[in-house]
Order: sequence, then C-alpha cells, then structure tokens
Amino acid sequence: MRVSGLVRHLAVFAQALRERGIPVALSDEADALAALTLVDVADRAEVRRALRVALKVRRRHAAAFDELFERLWAPESGEAATAVVNAARDRRVPHGRPARRLAAAGAGHGERGERDVPSGDAPAYSPEALLRRKSFEECTPEDLAAMERLLSGLASRLATRPSRRLVPTRGRGRHDPRRSFRRALATDGEFLEFARRSRAIEEPRLVVLCDTSGSMDAHTRFVLTFLLALKKAARRTEVFAFNTALTRLTPWMVPGRIAQTLDRLSAGVPDWSGGTRIGECLAAFVDRYLDGTVDRRTVVVIVSDGLDRGDTAELVSAMRAIRSRARRVLWLNPLLSDPRYEPTARGMAAALPYVDRLLPAHNLESLERVLPLVAA
Amino acid sequence: MKAEIRSMQEAMEKQGYIAEAEIATAVYLSQAMGKPLLVEGDAGVGKTEIAKVLARFLGTELIRLQCYEGLDVATALYEWDYPRQMLRVRMAGDDADPEGLEHVIFSRDYLLERPLLKAITRVEGPAVLLIDEVDRADDGFEAFLLEVLSDFQVTIPELGTIQAIHRPHVVLTSNRSREIGDALRRRCLYLYIEHPGFEKEVRIIHSRVPEAGARLAEQIARFVQSLRERRLLKAPGVAETIDWAQALVRLHQDALDAETVATTLGCLLKDHNDLRDLSGGELSSLVEAATS
Repeated sequence: MRVSGLVRHLAVFAQALRERGIPVALSDEADALAALTLVDVADRAEVRRALRVALKVRRRHAAAFDELFERLWAPESGEAATAVVNAARDRRVPHGRPARRLAAAGAGHGERGERDVPSGDAPAYSPEALLRRKSFEECTPEDLAAMERLLSGLASRLATRPSRRLVPTRGRGRHDPRRSFRRALATDGEFLEFARRSRAIEEPRLVVLCDTSGSMDAHTRFVLTFLLALKKAARRTEVFAFNTALTRLTPWMVPGRIAQTLDRLSAGVPDWSGGTRIGECLAAFVDRYLDGTVDRRTVVVIVSDGLDRGDTAELVSAMRAIRSRARRVLWLNPLLSDPRYEPTARGMAAALPYVDRLLPAHNLESLERVLPLVAA
Repeated sequence: MKAEIRSMQEAMEKQGYIAEAEIATAVYLSQAMGKPLLVEGDAGVGKTEIAKVLARFLGTELIRLQCYEGLDVATALYEWDYPRQMLRVRMAGDDADPEGLEHVIFSRDYLLERPLLKAITRVEGPAVLLIDEVDRADDGFEAFLLEVLSDFQVTIPELGTIQAIHRPHVVLTSNRSREIGDALRRRCLYLYIEHPGFEKEVRIIHSRVPEAGARLAEQIARFVQSLRERRLLKAPGVAETIDWAQALVRLHQDALDAETVATTLGCLLKDHNDLRDLSGGELSSLVEAATS
C-alpha cells in the first residue's frame, strides 16, 4: 500500500480515537506510522497490536480502542473510513459534555446565587464550645456564619506529613556528609559548617466524594464549607459530588466566597437534592478519575449516609478498587451521631469492610476530629 | 506475523519467557524504533522479567535503577567522590599546582557512576537499562528522567556534556500506583500486560517448574485462574503461581488436595483479608472445581 494513503488513514483513525476521549498526540501518530512500517500491514491482528503499543493506549481505553479498530481500520480504502468516522461522530457518546452543561447552567444563575447569602445582620453571640457541638440541622443562618469564621482559622492547624525525601535544612536534621565535604572543598578543606538535611514536608492529598442527595441535605452545605476551608491548606484536594450522577466540583471550589460558591453549586449540579445511587457513582469515579487523582499518598473521604437504592455489588467492587489504591479511606456519616444507629443501611453495610475509619459528621467538633486522620 | 516478531517471540521463549504476540510486538518495536518501552500491569505479571530476558538474549549487561520515593539525581545519575577528593587535596599539600590538582580531582576517576550514567557510558555496546517501578519516584524525578531519555546525554558542570556512546535499550516498569505523566509516556512505547490466560499459565509453569507434572500444572493454573476471578485485594501474579508450583513440588504433590492448598495458600495470597475471605468451605469447592 502507498504510504500517503496510510498516513491519511492513520490521521482519520487517530481523530476518531480522540473523539472517543482516548488521548492521541501528534507525536503518537508519528510513532504509529513508524511502527506500521516495521510490521506486516496485511496482518490485521498485528497492526492492531502495533498501534496499541505505538499510540500508548491505556488499559482503561483498550476496549474502546479495539471496538473502533474493528469498525474503522480498513487502510485499503481511506475514503470509506472517513465516511464511517463521520457517521460515528454523530452517534458518539458525548464525553465531557456534563461539565459544559454544568458551566452553562451555573452562568445563568448569577443573580439567583445572591439569594441565600447571609444579610449584613450581626450574628447572635454563641459560646464557641456550644457552637462546636450544635448539630447542623439545628443551626440558624447566624450560627452557620459564625462557624464559617471558626472554620477559616482551622485550615492552618492542618498538620502536614513528612516525606521520605530529604531536603537540605539549616541548623537542624541529620548530618549530610556529602554536602559537608562539598562545602569544605570551597574553604580549602576546612569544615567550617556541617551541612544537614531532614525530611521534606508534604502537602496532604485528599479526594472527597460528597453525597448531595435529599437525605443528606442539611449536612451537605456545611460539609462543603468545611472542605473549602480545608482546600486552603491542602491545595491539591479534589472534590466530587454525587447523588444520581457524579460531578467533579474541584473547579468550582473557590475559597473566600463560600456562600456564593454553594449557591452556584446547588443551581448547577444536576439533582442537587435528589436520591442516591452510591454504587453507580463510585463506579463512575473509579472509571474516570481514580487513576489520575488517587495514589498511595492520597486519603479518600466519602461523606454519605449510605442510604442507597442501587445495587450493592457495584458499590463493593468500586470500594475495593479505591481501597487498594488509596492510603486511607474515611467514611463520614452524619447519622452516626445517633447512639442507636447501626451501620445496617444496605450500602453502608456493604462498604464497611473497605473503610479504615467510620466517623460521625454532624457537627463542627466531629469534623475537627477528622483533621489528624487526613494529615497524618 | 512478521518474521522478526516471530523470532523475537522464539528468542524470549528460549530464555524461559512465554511471550504472547502483544509482548513480542512491543519489545520488537521498541528495539527497531529505538524507543524506551513503558510496561504497566499488576504486580507479578512479569514486567521486570522482560528487561532481564532482553539482556540475556542480547548477551549484554542489565543495569537496573530501582525507583523509590525520595530517589534523587545523586543516586540515579552521578556523584563526585567527595571524601576521596578531600584526601587528594590534603595529600597534595600547600605547594601543589592548584589548576593541575583541580583537573585531577574533577576527572572521571573521582566520579561515582550511578545507573543512568553507567548505562549511557558503557563502552562494550548498548546495555539494557531497567528503570523499575518508576511510579514510586517523585514527579520531579520523572521530569528529570524525561530529559535523559530524550537526549541520552548528561551534563556534568565540571566535566561538560557526556554523550551516550551507545543508546541503551530502556525498559520502564510501573505498578500504576500513580498515573505516569503524559510527557514521559509520549517518549516511550507502551505495553500493558494482563494476567495470563489458562493456556499461557500452564506453559509458564512447564517452562519454569519443569518438575511439576502435566496434571499438577493444569490444576495449579485452573485454581489460580479461579482465584483471580474473585476480585481480591491482591490478585496472585505469575510470580506467585511459580512460587506455589515450586512449593507443591517440594512437598511431593502430584495433584491438588484441599488440605495442602489450605496450608500453602500463603504462597498465592499475600493479604490478610484475602486469606480470611477464602474460608474453608469456599476453598474446598474451588479446589474441587480445579481438580475435577
């Protein structure tokens, strides 16, 4: 086959892959072309293997790649393939579309967002300790405003984790003979000062999955306020909301304007207070975001009452996947404040074996207790 | 299949590595295109082994860089031997020619070569450079690696730029404990190794533990395959299968039975929760299914 035809066909095929959300760069296409000159292009299976290697198709995209290859790869007739791609384009699954819809919805609700911002009234005086123990359900808007102020001070208390990486320090830490010798060279072999190094301090990495369904409504706003405060100390925090669908909230979490952000959120997120499908949503998280956001250093926090109408098998396999990757999995459940509560809700019971700590989350005090677990 | 790929497959098999077409194609392309090969997959599927086998059949040296959190350039690339330089300066005394002395102590003699530098300065021919578990290193190290892997040259301020004498064959492995950056991925060719299917696993057992009989090998493979379907926290890899087969051979087993499996299960399952989940009743039914 002529090379020019192959180049065109490859470009069309790569475009089809991109449309399906499989990242293919121009340099990958160049690699693929080089690879195709090295294999037997008449052998379809071999071409497929070579393209997978050269285009760096990740495992989670492998099925989509194979399907597209089956449908579109026919290098004998570049034109026909183009037609197929065009047809496929109209049918394609709209990847990334929810985010766009979300942004558009959010933009339209600017004025409505102002509605719930606490007016300038001075908040009623509450002793701090009392406020800490007050359940969110009983809080007046004034209480909430006071709590927000308490919370903003809390970010700085978030302890940080020492890394294994050693960095040069002044005056403390252990001796660093190599650098000491190096310095001594500059002073004609005299050791004027010993170099030292100690463990680097690392920012905590957090991924929060927050249930925003109707059964959680009273808590959601407060938990999100808490997360915004937390994000100041741990900038790499990723936040997702779920109820019947999963939404990535991270780009919306703007510190400093907590009330506005919350109103934008409730206007923009689909089903802000609808029912829950925990299993489905966590599975969606595992599918799309787990690889990119969670590593060995990441603590995953799930905030939910575990009241689920979905299938628990899906929940279990998603929890297992998260557990095997994260450093720690915390589950915050506001219902735990009730001493009679047993975690028997179907979803909760199914997820429990994969959770490191199950913690209450009904007032500020309980949220503060979460902090050392997130940091350490 | 192209003849070169088939002969690659046969050469790997001769070294005791059963490679299906995917693996042979990837290794061949990485050789032919002169690009590093990034291998991902669960623990114990034989990622590291690819580099070892490659070094063996190319008859060259395997240079290994084990990555870990906190790995820095001084451990990966080069470092000056400061204590020796120090002693040399002291020995020279006060009346030594300072410029000549500088040339002496900043020469190759006083340079400690770490794996990356060793790999590009090898004189005898291209080495196989294995960068193992690259996902364990920091993001910063990944960026540095990118630089070395694109130019195959290293700049040492006191010596100047050192160009690779022969470009090494590079194999990177990752357990996917974090996502490898796109830039590094683009520099490489990519291979994902799945757990082997039944046929392949039997062939691996035959090749690596020839003492195990045909019946035992098949039962082992069937049992391990059924374990992997159970979605464990740590699914057993090929390495575990081989360990277990060796254990059973040492115990003079020629077939699986529930009791032996229960006592040797630690060879396969390395997680307390997985061991506990597989309670007695379920285990014996799995063994039964594997032996019937």
